[in-house]
Amino acid sequence: MPPAAATNLGYKPPDGGWGWAVVFAAFISIGFSYAFPKSLTIYFKEIQEYFSVSYSEIAWVSSVMLASMYAGGPVSSMLVNRYGSRPVVMVGGLMVCTGMVLASFGTTIIHLYLCVGVIGGFGLAFNLQPALTIIGTYFQVKRPLANGLAMTGSPVVLSTLAPLNQFLFDSFGWRGSFLVLGSIVLNCCVAGALMRPVNKKAQSQPDNESPMSRGKASVEAASEDFSSPSANPLAEDIKNKSKCQSFVSRYIDLSLFTHRGFLIYLVGNVVMFFGFFAPIVFLAPYAKHQGTDEYSAALLLSIFALVDMFIRPVTGFIGNSKWIRPRIQYFFSFAVSYNGVCHLLCPLASGYGGLVVYAVFFGLAFGMLCALLFEVLMDLVGAHRFSSAVGLVTIIECGPVLLGPPISGALVDTFGDYKYMYYACGVFMLGPGIFLFIMHYYNYKKLDEEHRQRVTVEMRTSEEAVEFKMNPNEKTDNETQGETF
Amino acid sequence: MQQPHRRRDRLTQRTEERTTMTAAWRQLPVLILLILAPCRTVSSKSVDPTTQPLVSIASQPTDTRSVVLQESVDQTTQTLVSIAPQPTDTRSFVLKGDTTFKNVELLNPVNLSLECVWTGSQNKQPSITGYWRKDGAEVQDSRVTVNLKEQQYNLTKVFSIASEENLGNYTCVFGNEFEMYFILGAPQMGEIRDKPIVSYVGDIVVLICKMDEKKPKPNTWTWYKFNGTDREEISAATDPHRYLTINDGWKTKLKVKNVSEADSGLYHCGAVYNISTSMTHVELKVITIMEPLKPFISILIEVIILVAAILIYERSRSKKKEAEANGPNAEPKNAQPQTEDNGGEKSSSVRQRKA
Repeated sequence: MPPAAATNLGYKPPDGGWGWAVVFAAFISIGFSYAFPKSLTIYFKEIQEYFSVSYSEIAWVSSVMLASMYAGGPVSSMLVNRYGSRPVVMVGGLMVCTGMVLASFGTTIIHLYLCVGVIGGFGLAFNLQPALTIIGTYFQVKRPLANGLAMTGSPVVLSTLAPLNQFLFDSFGWRGSFLVLGSIVLNCCVAGALMRPVNKKAQSQPDNESPMSRGKASVEAASEDFSSPSANPLAEDIKNKSKCQSFVSRYIDLSLFTHRGFLIYLVGNVVMFFGFFAPIVFLAPYAKHQGTDEYSAALLLSIFALVDMFIRPVTGFIGNSKWIRPRIQYFFSFAVSYNGVCHLLCPLASGYGGLVVYAVFFGLAFGMLCALLFEVLMDLVGAHRFSSAVGLVTIIECGPVLLGPPISGALVDTFGDYKYMYYACGVFMLGPGIFLFIMHYYNYKKLDEEHRQRVTVEMRTSEEAVEFKMNPNEKTDNETQGETF
Repeated sequence: MQQPHRRRDRLTQRTEERTTMTAAWRQLPVLILLILAPCRTVSSKSVDPTTQPLVSIASQPTDTRSVVLQESVDQTTQTLVSIAPQPTDTRSFVLKGDTTFKNVELLNPVNLSLECVWTGSQNKQPSITGYWRKDGAEVQDSRVTVNLKEQQYNLTKVFSIASEENLGNYTCVFGNEFEMYFILGAPQMGEIRDKPIVSYVGDIVVLICKMDEKKPKPNTWTWYKFNGTDREEISAATDPHRYLTINDGWKTKLKVKNVSEADSGLYHCGAVYNISTSMTHVELKVITIMEPLKPFISILIEVIILVAAILIYERSRSKKKEAEANGPNAEPKNAQPQTEDNGGEKSSSVRQRKA
């Protein structure tokens, strides 16, 4: 009987070495995925005039790109499960490049929707998921730190792209800029090349052997073998199921929907995302509404981005510490609630100084949240199922992400005042924060219980195992069991 | 005789025309000035015995007319919009205190009474010579002796602004010591983009000129392209296949089809008002596709080189490892308990990675 490995990865992740190069590669991929759609808004004004369309029609380009990026999650997960991270990221980079180059020759707005929106969006999806997944394969002990560092890519790339895009626009107009941006995005392929599949040694212990093929430099799909609840992954089991089910489960792990931790995460996140992006979108307009000039309003966003940039690795480092790591879910719940409190207090900020204070605290909150966003998911479902989990999560989050800003905008328009929108966003974040606190308290208790049960069972069965030495399972508070429910 | 002080009732009122999702504009203060008859007939009664009688026109009784006067936020620009323009109306503008200049924007021909009030320097002479200058040249018959009254010097003159040549810079000079000036002109456009608009050979380009919506609406718009010193008007009539103008109140768009490199240069747009046309320019730059293609190709080459380098490096390292692996025994087994401090790493069995 195989031991209840916390990660059941079947190998020991290097936690360093080439892993840091992979973190850098993930930094670039994640940075482009999040920052690229936001940075394109600089061109919208001229494109709007060129095609003689209204502002909302041009804003659709961004929305389509974001929607494709989130909807492409499951597809991306399936491909990563099948082929590993490296090919998917390189294909993704090529896709975005192709999309941008085609768009630069576009003659109607529909061209832009298709090329930039759909093709570009899917390409970015093929960048995001694999980047997150590969961190989980390379890091175990230092994983929160690695995640925090990789997620820093988003604000850094955004701060780089924003002035660069302005420069390109002044030099080449929008068509030339799209062309050059296509080539810049191709650097994601370089990031993909760095994502060398992690080296896994063949196991000497037979029962720890997982049917994954062990090549020197190839990674086979892990989730197909670990999708079954028991810690005994056998490909034959899967083949015995119905053909349709096995086909799907080979590529994506739908049994995650019965995973308790995953469901908690999903419910909390879906509600939270309604209030996630809107405060950033409305920060500058709110400042202008209060009477500050355009330049100072833009400065607020820069302050926010700067604080965000620095707090993400710090959060990763804190999350890695031995006090936080075992109960990292509480840290995440705290971050979500802190966001909510920030928004609820925002209307109290008076004058420009108050807004600066708000921007700083919001930057702290947002950075903490983003740095932990995927780390806690990895913590809940384990690295081998993470790829499918993140695919499912992103496609479900697609809805709130797209609906959030328009709903907030509608709130602003109906009431004519920004404070109700901030109250709503605060509630949307504080509620899930508290929900996550309570549910994870319950979850941790259940996990400890199950762990204790399993330990006693294994103690009994370990007497039968004589060929290998097995250490008694230490108390695993930090990792939830991949196979528990 | 006393200089009557005009009282201004300021009412704020603005009709919301734009409802955008992202910005609920705060009510911007707009001044609606209602000048009532008593105030306006003041100009004919207020002749100071020490100043020359200047008013020759306003001796007629003028009836009550509403006038809308808009003032910019920094109070340096005032725009005069008459509802029922008559050349016989006289409007009055006063410069005093700290402001040393004022922009006056006019739409229609009108008579303006410009008044400068100066509190004097340290040694206040009882009387001082004052005169007016227009655009640097002294206005004829404008030299008067200004007497110090209630610690102030007042210099007033009525000017008839009938056409464009009457617009300009009107400076009132107190002796050799102090100057204030009014700039009379048609409403000016702000927001001029200083960088050129870039377009490509064979492509369409749209050039835009915008007048601030707080200022009065232009009657129409005109577009010009300068050929050396000549002004050549562009309109749909001159070349309908290439140019298309869309005038939309405060905004105008010039759509140029099938641009070529000869189309590069400055395009001047003019907002036409009754009194004059106010102009600004937009620059167009036409380039070929080769321009952005250069950075594109160079970055592409850089990416290919990096990817190839990384993959080759990896290939060579793995070959080296294989060579090592075939020498000594493969996969020696070590059983080591794995304990980590941070976070309580859990591992149940032994792993060894090949270094």
